[in-house]
Amino acid sequence: MFFWQLVLSGLSIGSLYAVVGLGIVLLYRTSRVLNFAHGDLAMVTTMIAYSLLTSAGVVFAGSVALTLLAAFALGSLFYFIVIRPVKEATLLGQIITTAGFALVLGGAAVVIWGAGTKALPFPLSRFRFYDVFGLRIDQLTIGSFIVSVITMLLLYLLVQKTKFGLAMRAVSQNDAAARVLGIPVRRVYAVTWGVSAVLGAIGGLLLAPVTFVSPTMMFDPFLKGFAAAVLGGLDSLPGVIIGGVILGVVENVFGGYVSTAFKSTVAFVMIIAVLLVRPEGLLGRKFQRRV
Amino acid sequence: MRLKVRAYVGWLLVTVMALGVALPAAAQERGITPTEIILGTSAPLSGPAAPWGATARGAEAYIQYINEQGGIHGRTIRFVILDDAYQPPRAVQNVRALVEGTGVFALVGMIGSANAAATRDYIFRNEVVWMTPAVESDPWIGNPNIRYLFVTYPNYYQEAKVLTRYAVEELGLRRIAVIYQNDQYGDNGRRGVIDALAEMGMEPVAAVPYELTDADLSVQALLIGQAQADAVILYATPTHGAMAAAALAQLNPKPQILSSFTLADPIMAALAGEAWNGVIVPSYFPYPDHDEKVARVLEIILERNPDLAQMSFNALAGVTFLEPLLEGLRRAGPDVTKESFVAAMESIQDWDGELLRGISFGPGRRQGLNRIFLARMVNGKPEPLTDWIVYPVEF
Amino acid sequence: MTQLIQRYEEEMALVRGGAAWTGLVLLLGALAALPWLLPGYYVYILNFVGINVIVAIGLNLLVGYTGQISLGHVGFVAIGAYAATHFIRATEASGVVAALGGPFWMAVFIGGAAAAVFGVLVGLPAIRLEGPYLTIVTLGFGLAVQQILINWPAVSGGRIGMFVPQPALGSFVLGSDRSLYYLVWTVVIGMSLVAFNLTRSHVGRAFIAIRDSDIAAEVTGVNLKYYKTLAFAVSAFYAGAAGALLAYVMQYLEPTMFNLYESIYYLAMVVVGGLGTIPGAMFGAVLLTLLQYGLSHAQEYLPVIYGGIVILVMALEPMGLYGRWLKIKLWMKTWPM
Repeated sequence: MFFWQLVLSGLSIGSLYAVVGLGIVLLYRTSRVLNFAHGDLAMVTTMIAYSLLTSAGVVFAGSVALTLLAAFALGSLFYFIVIRPVKEATLLGQIITTAGFALVLGGAAVVIWGAGTKALPFPLSRFRFYDVFGLRIDQLTIGSFIVSVITMLLLYLLVQKTKFGLAMRAVSQNDAAARVLGIPVRRVYAVTWGVSAVLGAIGGLLLAPVTFVSPTMMFDPFLKGFAAAVLGGLDSLPGVIIGGVILGVVENVFGGYVSTAFKSTVAFVMIIAVLLVRPEGLLGRKFQRRV
Repeated sequence: MRLKVRAYVGWLLVTVMALGVALPAAAQERGITPTEIILGTSAPLSGPAAPWGATARGAEAYIQYINEQGGIHGRTIRFVILDDAYQPPRAVQNVRALVEGTGVFALVGMIGSANAAATRDYIFRNEVVWMTPAVESDPWIGNPNIRYLFVTYPNYYQEAKVLTRYAVEELGLRRIAVIYQNDQYGDNGRRGVIDALAEMGMEPVAAVPYELTDADLSVQALLIGQAQADAVILYATPTHGAMAAAALAQLNPKPQILSSFTLADPIMAALAGEAWNGVIVPSYFPYPDHDEKVARVLEIILERNPDLAQMSFNALAGVTFLEPLLEGLRRAGPDVTKESFVAAMESIQDWDGELLRGISFGPGRRQGLNRIFLARMVNGKPEPLTDWIVYPVEF
Repeated sequence: MTQLIQRYEEEMALVRGGAAWTGLVLLLGALAALPWLLPGYYVYILNFVGINVIVAIGLNLLVGYTGQISLGHVGFVAIGAYAATHFIRATEASGVVAALGGPFWMAVFIGGAAAAVFGVLVGLPAIRLEGPYLTIVTLGFGLAVQQILINWPAVSGGRIGMFVPQPALGSFVLGSDRSLYYLVWTVVIGMSLVAFNLTRSHVGRAFIAIRDSDIAAEVTGVNLKYYKTLAFAVSAFYAGAAGALLAYVMQYLEPTMFNLYESIYYLAMVVVGGLGTIPGAMFGAVLLTLLQYGLSHAQEYLPVIYGGIVILVMALEPMGLYGRWLKIKLWMKTWPM
């Protein structure tokens, strides 16, 4: 029973890692940018939701809608203002640029909202339980699991079934060819940044009742989302979901039976082991290059 | 290549000249001028520990009030806060800049065991007055260099023993567990629980650490459930304390939580919700709800810095670091020197301040406070459970 | 003024012409005089500047010259710091070590060597992994080193931390800011000379070939496995030596000092200064370290300012500030035209 309860809570946190990781993968596979500000972007949008819900007194659904809009705007704005001018930069240059953005966002959050931890008013309760087959599940876990799955399905539909998704995939294959074919490449990049930030915001909102709202709330979930993305393969959307779930379950079972002190480290050790066997991650495509 | 070396030489020359502009400051009795008393602190205002920056902000707001009242013996107080982002190398730099550059009379507080450890040799060597670093008591016990150190902060280790004994003797609970942060603070709590239980011929049923970066403590809670603990003693940051309480509330049956005084903040009830109901928390000064003087101080600092409302316990704690120093300065009179200040501090016996009560220092006594009381949180409000519980003076 | 190079020795000389020599002598004189002109806590900052210069030069050899990424460089600094501390503690009483001038020179070397061993270990996956995948391996390495140090008190002293004995040269204790300053900056000068010469040798050319195209490099006979691992080892050696100096300057070590943010700061130094140039790495390290310490008064605004500067430099001058300096120089030389 202890084991299954560990697996259950691992699935629940793992699906949130997956949502955070999806934003990283979506952006990476389209534009080859590894966004180190993904976590802080999610944190700032969650802070915006907090302000809307408390000071502005907007109802929950309205706050969520406004927050997701704000996330989209922030993401694409960052693309236009910063990333596009440094488009020629190397992977490292982009990592440093986004890490600089992360510093700015984290610092701004402390200045604007203060460093203290806040509680986000949330309609689902952690303290209403259902006992199923001897396992205890709370309302919040069920709710956030459902939202995660819906998010993943919507993303699947967006990428695979819409015209925009097609453009996105075309750009990720070869942006020069896509441009020749008349695809507005810049707009595709900007929208991808926006969607990625929205995915981060959903992750932040779902994490908020568990980790609470603070400028450092996304530090660990971002690293885990990144790890999930690498584990599954950075260019594979199903990969990051599987990666996130595996990560959540493995670290919980390890924490439960071996050591809670090394719970976070084990995630990275596992990734290194997997990468040594499969350098492109579990579901990633083999890295091909032209000389 | 030539281009590079020349440029390198050029750049370094520019840097060298830029640095050369800075000049050392001269001082007589450091930090005391005819019009001013200069105090300083290094605090985490950015970075992962930024919430505790509220202690420095609380002290700052209270000093503003003291200055509005005319200062002390005609001198106003200047309080210099430098950010260390919770990094020992920067804490060392800040302390040195405050002592050698600004020229402070005293340092007020210090957040983080590592920062205090990295700076303490320097502070002792330079005989700087140091008020209440907010860390464990171990480094001070038996230390011969603490002549200029004055501490009014509970000893985590003794507090953990008090909590454990209360759980066993008063609440009749037998299966005691501890969740602790994997650092000096948490380790003091863990050792206190183990030692107190050993004195009663018992052992903890579980001792579960967590890391400061952990974002989810459900595994820790499940381990407590697996051990069938009926009481959990909690040594955590406010955020992790709330995470742990919320996760523990899912257990069946739900264990009684007893937490460190660092979780006495009203924010806890807002974060953990109903999971914080019934939690037993100590404090080392009265709650604003139960004491008019404390309520008045809170009002004073919130008038001057409304942002502190969220972190009111930390802000008040910042004032407690400062309060005995102000009393010492008052007692030392207008011609204060470092030595006359020490003598004045040593004359403080069973003294009641606005926040702190029953504070005593003396020759050879630097631990001004050796008692706490317990309260139970009921619907976010503390209800005192015990009178003061005294533990031995250790330094 | 450009002059004609007539002999091979001139081409190979690091410092050429009277003006450069004068500048260098002036610079060294200024560096030697600085600790006598500045108050102690500025000298303490300069010691950190020197330490970060060493890390940045080493990281630049890996990132700027060889094109590999490390987001876990702080792990090498930590290994160097703890290895050096254990070496000093173990050999403090030893007569042989004292006869060789005390443990402190050797400690810098031991710190570097210990880190280099781990550099080889981290470098091995680099043979197979690229870009973001390598990033996460190095990131994981940095995080793992910190976690292991926190949870292994026998090595690190745990969260209580570990106090470092003061360096001594024979019976002469080198604890003061000034003597530490000379120690740190002698190592800085020595290691930057090594780096200058390394990048001009066949090793440096192999590194650059790998960066520009590893497949082309392999085709032309560069042993990828050997040189990639070597780049990690050399880079880690610099970081480890800097770690040993850090131990001396701080005289106290605690695992949380070695966190992910530090690794990002190191990378920022290299990128802001200018990738693939040694003066660039030096300049980035000097600027960002001074900024970090100088902005203590800016309090909670520091991260915003710091991050903003990094973004601005990247957006306006991806070649780094050193690249901008070269452009300005070129512009001045060709000015009237």
